[in-house]
Amino acid sequence: MTSRPPTLREKRRYVLIRIEPAGTVPDQKELYFAVHEAVSSLWGDAAAALIHMAVVAAEGTYVIVRCRRGMERELAIALTTVTTCGGQRISLRTVATSGTIESLRERIAVMRAPDAAVVVPDECTIDGRRHTVSNCSGQKVDVIEKGFKNTTRFFLTREDLEDI
Amino acid sequence: MKITDACVCPRPAGDSSVRRMALEAHELGFDSLIAVDTPSCEYAGVYVASGIVIRDVPVQEVASRVKRSKESCAIVSVQAGDNGRNRTVLGVRGVHILCGIHRTDRYAFDHVTAKIAADNGVAIDISLAPVIKERGVVRQRALDRYFDLILLCRRFEFPLVISTHARSVLEMRSVREFSALASVIGLDIPDVEQALLNAGRLQSPSSAVKVVQ
Repeated sequence: MTSRPPTLREKRRYVLIRIEPAGTVPDQKELYFAVHEAVSSLWGDAAAALIHMAVVAAEGTYVIVRCRRGMERELAIALTTVTTCGGQRISLRTVATSGTIESLRERIAVMRAPDAAVVVPDECTIDGRRHTVSNCSGQKVDVIEKGFKNTTRFFLTREDLEDI
Repeated sequence: MKITDACVCPRPAGDSSVRRMALEAHELGFDSLIAVDTPSCEYAGVYVASGIVIRDVPVQEVASRVKRSKESCAIVSVQAGDNGRNRTVLGVRGVHILCGIHRTDRYAFDHVTAKIAADNGVAIDISLAPVIKERGVVRQRALDRYFDLILLCRRFEFPLVISTHARSVLEMRSVREFSALASVIGLDIPDVEQALLNAGRLQSPSSAVKVVQ
């Protein structure tokens, strides 16, 4: 099958999104299903077909989602309604929209500048339960309750850890 | 002029500390937050106003609860109920926000309640939580209630506030996402800007000039 000449190809836009909480790397396929469900439940099947969404690349906590040109707004609104992916609570933050994947990859490289090393304790006790520090960037500290199941994640700051 | 998320619920109700929520709000473009059951403070350049939500309380008790909360200078929100309850609550002095309209029936907020809200300057809360978290019939019903609310707002010009009712930083949304989600329910950008500023105005209401001797 020959590919269409550039003038006949449909124009696309690529949306760069950041996945929160930091350190969450969901499966690309599961993320596709989560976004697709959000798009079709919010806008309906007809609009979902027009949006023509696809998860084209995942680089760590950054994901590039494709859509048809002119449907970026609809996709961005639907992305804000994604709350879970593969049973994990997540939030998708739209960072940028571009006409090429390459320019978004350049942005990812800029944003991935390493944080200054911060010293925080590995463990802490909240409400009498032991928690492990799972992620720390700048002032933000995420802790997860120690255990095998029903573990809760708390979103704190370094000052909160000092107060506990 | 403060851009404010009209309701967040930090720990112990949620899983995020109030400082973390303030930090996140700063990154998301907010100047202030109204945090339920939290003392007022300022963190990361974000002013956190204390808020109280009165829910599951009979109408007769609302006035006394509001009176008790006056000492704490908190923003008082009262959960909406049926039409009679809403009319009474909107007439209570000291009530700042009527919230949870999306959970009420179609006749709970009509033109009479809209006029009372406009006359008393009580803001009506549009929670984005059902738009973000719910799916299917529940979201459709919430959207329907909001369409009706906005229709009445355009006619009677009562103040609107927009909130996420976030219990976690993952449920918080940026100012741009607020206006995008609000466009789904028919609010355009000037309306959203006004609604985001209204919550800040509740913290410092304009009052008559007093002569101090």
